[in-house]
Amino acid sequence: MTDPREVRLEDLPGPKSREELEDMKAPYEEYCRKLFDVGNEYVKPAALDGIRWMSCTMYIFTPHSVSNLAELGAEVIKIEMPRMGDPMRHTSPFNECYYYPLHDTRPKTGTGIGVLNANVNEYYITMDYHREEAKEPFYRLVKMSDGLTECYRPGTFDRWKQSYRYLQEINPRFIYVWGGGFGYGPKAFGGSYDILGQSHAGLASITGFHEDFGGHPVKHTNWCIDWYSGTQITVAVLAALYWRRKTGLGTMIEFSQVQAATRCTGYAVPLYGRFGVVRQRWGNWDTQLCVHGIILCGKSDYPDEKNPQLRNEARYVMVSAFNDPDFKELCNIIKRPDLYEKYKTHKQRVEAEAQVEIYREIEKWAADKSRSEVVRILTDAGILAAPVKNDKEVYDSEHFRQRGSVRWLDDPMMGDVLCHSSFSCGLLSETPRRKFWDFRPVGADNIKVYHELLGYPMSTIKKWYEENLI
Amino acid sequence: MCDIIWCKKCNTVNYLDPYCFWNWEGKINCAECGEVYYIHMIQGHMYRGPEPRPGEKPDIMPLYADKPLEGYKNYLPGTEGRTRPYNCTPRHIYLGHADYRKFSIRNRPMRAWAPQPAAGGVAGAYGFYWDIKKLSPEVWEEYQEKIKKGEVRDW
Amino acid sequence: MAREVKEVEIKSRADTLKQRPWPASPPPSREEVAKVYARRKAEEFGAWCEDNLWFHKRFDKPEALQGVRVLEVGQWRLGNMFAGSLLAELGAEVIKVEPPEGDPVRKYTPFGREEYMLKDPETGEPCGLEFIHEMRNKYSVTLNLETPEGRKLYKGLAARADIIFEEYPPGYMDELGIGYRQLSKINPRLIYCWIGVLGQWGPEKDRVSKFGQWMLDPFAQAACSFIHNTGYPDDFLPRGSGGDPTRSGVWLCDYVAGEQAAVNALAALYYRDEKSGRGQFIEVTGAEAMLDILDFDISWYGFNESIKARTGAWDPNLNQYAWNPCKDGYMMIGGQTDRLWYRIGMCIERDLPQFGRLIHEDPLLKEMAARNALQALTKTYTLTAMWLRETNRVEAEEKLMEYEIAAGPLLYIDETCEFPHFKYRPWIYSIEDEHYGTLLYATATTSFQQRTPARVKWLGRPLGKDNGEIFIKYLGVGQRMQEVLKEKGVI
Repeated sequence: MTDPREVRLEDLPGPKSREELEDMKAPYEEYCRKLFDVGNEYVKPAALDGIRWMSCTMYIFTPHSVSNLAELGAEVIKIEMPRMGDPMRHTSPFNECYYYPLHDTRPKTGTGIGVLNANVNEYYITMDYHREEAKEPFYRLVKMSDGLTECYRPGTFDRWKQSYRYLQEINPRFIYVWGGGFGYGPKAFGGSYDILGQSHAGLASITGFHEDFGGHPVKHTNWCIDWYSGTQITVAVLAALYWRRKTGLGTMIEFSQVQAATRCTGYAVPLYGRFGVVRQRWGNWDTQLCVHGIILCGKSDYPDEKNPQLRNEARYVMVSAFNDPDFKELCNIIKRPDLYEKYKTHKQRVEAEAQVEIYREIEKWAADKSRSEVVRILTDAGILAAPVKNDKEVYDSEHFRQRGSVRWLDDPMMGDVLCHSSFSCGLLSETPRRKFWDFRPVGADNIKVYHELLGYPMSTIKKWYEENLI
Repeated sequence: MCDIIWCKKCNTVNYLDPYCFWNWEGKINCAECGEVYYIHMIQGHMYRGPEPRPGEKPDIMPLYADKPLEGYKNYLPGTEGRTRPYNCTPRHIYLGHADYRKFSIRNRPMRAWAPQPAAGGVAGAYGFYWDIKKLSPEVWEEYQEKIKKGEVRDW
Repeated sequence: MAREVKEVEIKSRADTLKQRPWPASPPPSREEVAKVYARRKAEEFGAWCEDNLWFHKRFDKPEALQGVRVLEVGQWRLGNMFAGSLLAELGAEVIKVEPPEGDPVRKYTPFGREEYMLKDPETGEPCGLEFIHEMRNKYSVTLNLETPEGRKLYKGLAARADIIFEEYPPGYMDELGIGYRQLSKINPRLIYCWIGVLGQWGPEKDRVSKFGQWMLDPFAQAACSFIHNTGYPDDFLPRGSGGDPTRSGVWLCDYVAGEQAAVNALAALYYRDEKSGRGQFIEVTGAEAMLDILDFDISWYGFNESIKARTGAWDPNLNQYAWNPCKDGYMMIGGQTDRLWYRIGMCIERDLPQFGRLIHEDPLLKEMAARNALQALTKTYTLTAMWLRETNRVEAEEKLMEYEIAAGPLLYIDETCEFPHFKYRPWIYSIEDEHYGTLLYATATTSFQQRTPARVKWLGRPLGKDNGEIFIKYLGVGQRMQEVLKEKGVI
């Protein structure tokens, strides 16, 4: 028992040591830099150390849900089809960009960069599940893991006796995730991809230029619905882990990516439900704020570059001045104070017709200026404006370099790889996310898992390999 | 004929990509013989044309054309005077096949060319180390050269 | 001939604002769906899934995050709101702390139309649907953090919180003495997560304009090359008419940052409870969270100085994997592996024999990877669109489904709300809300779970509705005191 009359330093308010005092006094930015200590992530602990997860996944959506766990410290075993691997390994933009080898038996086939960032820090084994001999090693893994994520068509794993119906009997703590397009219901067996989510769920219908302006619905450049839905699975998994700490019980989570795409359409669904109004595309402007959109400038920032992406495209600026004083200042800069007089309130200028007129006038003003001139003039006047950056400019950005969100990695298999993931999805002061390696050849960790973890003799592994079981 | 123009003069198929031509009116050339055709397309259907307009100037070129009856000889996007340049390519040149590279843009080795010497163990197992000195000594040497010349950068 | 009786007569704008019956047609019955399972010999498994994951049983089951207390403190943006929603749907107690005049998101409404806003039954104050839809299962309290009393009360709430999602300009809270630096002294178990656009530190950190206007989402999309890489190329459509870099229709970076904030905070919570007993400081930004999921785009530049550009609705990495125009809209078709790719072709060839001749017989299209070359995409999609222009979306889907192809129509919001599968699960559902009446909403994505499904308990919340309960419960501030504080502009 402590003596209640004794005053302990820890109980007093205020800093407890010189170091802490300095922390309290440091300018805020400096304090943040020191606390997050970018570049030294590896010496700090990881949040999910000790969790083991099985990844029976393909493409991007379900792999990313597991990759999030691996970045946070979970040990993940990715199971692929023997020799072939994840189909995502065979995707590369315009067939141009591959790392080698995929597998020793296929020296000329590479792993396309389409698979980058989706399965980081994982151990890669191969297994042809549906063969009877695979059941035993599979069940052994289930017994010593915390959970599994799979993406096969509904009923497939059940047919192979490895659905949650069976696995909960083997391991009651097991958390089982099925991720796919649809889930139970009339379209249960419909296959799904990111692009299906974008198109089926309404997101595409509200992205891009309206047909009255000559546009078509636009696909988001990345497989955003795959990635974004995958992260929501991770949210559910972490909540299930939290629940399991209390009850000791696992669960099954069925997750549909198509649904997740509808989830981010904001006011669209309630607007339809209440008023029957169907939300439409509104191009590069904003339906709820004005001025808050992207304009085209007359001149490129790199008129003499060979690459058309630099020569022709470095001409767009994001401009934002929706509050009254900002809008007033913007109108003064473009020498159209009459516009402010005409649209004094936000309600007036956010009307569709007003938006058309206002953006047209801003673009007229920018017609003889380059992107950087426009940004400079507006920024100097205290208005918010920023260039629409391309990949090169993101690479060159001092901001992302200092924050560690774009950095080079010395990948143990592939060599020099530029990384813009993992570290970038959040700084954590105590348990930072990190990336050890990106992907590994198909079956690269077969011995590590089958021999060292599951105890199969080397001769069995060789036999399985020859029989194409692994 | 419809979304393709199968040129009768030279037996070349010119492909009219849907987003550009879904609703379009104007003149387009054949990639091989240069014959100019007038077309008017509405909702993807050929409303008028293709009508040959010899001697007139085309408004646009096709993006791609090939000759299925002559061994699929083809004109890739951006062939000068025949097909449209496609600014959507990531560089000023267009490849369409694997770009073998031994070094990243900061001149450090990366394993991006084929074939690669076999390096796996039992059941395709790999360690956590790319023994470049042993597996690809020529790349290692080139790397040493690059270091000497100061071409290896941090960014 | 008798005049056709229309269900809805539109004579003026007011007539367009009538609540539609939803669903217009009932979802398929369980018996009909059982037949779907039976066709794939998965009758038993389908029944098991429906028994164990059935949406309508969600209120029969416990909540995973019961007992986790979250403060959501932000304005103007959706990042903190989405992070809060994800945890609230899973059972956390989320308290949104707003300034006495309310979060400006309450005032957002498309094209400024007040007729699309819903009135609070007591105060008559209109509230926008964007806010209502994202204000899920959350309490609303008001606090003026610029007053000393407001900060004191806020500290009291923070002392009892597990997680704070904060979204104010960089250093603002710290300056007020209620940032992580100070609150972690009061509550060392606190997990404090700042969410923003570009960062709270670094050369291009979040800015506010000279007049105090905040940076909001498309800025994050612009900064990470997302916008540059999205849209139709001007090789397809003229610049200014769709051939431009294009932003997402929604504030996607806010959503992506919000969910990563939720992931990081829950991981920190697990670590705190399992191991350290201490909280930590987290920072998530929209631009960087999007950078994380920007496929390989920046890595590609590091590979050979490639700058990814726009390809419209075609994906440059997979063939087929695109939507193209069809008779009545747009149709998405996907299938990359040989097995699927040839099945798509077989389906099209039935109606369009030329497809087989020009596509299947082309030796340059035989290999999966080679089909991703630009010329291969052009050829494949030109011929596919030749089929689609004769076919409407429903026919195309039916035909492709026979071949088990992942294909789907591009749906508009009304069609999404009425899509049979979506109604059956349901992904779109209606709730009779205490304050705003019957609302149609997108259900929680994590609702389909055996033990702890997520759920939406209410949508929207009148400003400061929970002041009475929260202030007495957590701070011991009673009604009289609250009146005084209100008078002084503190709450």
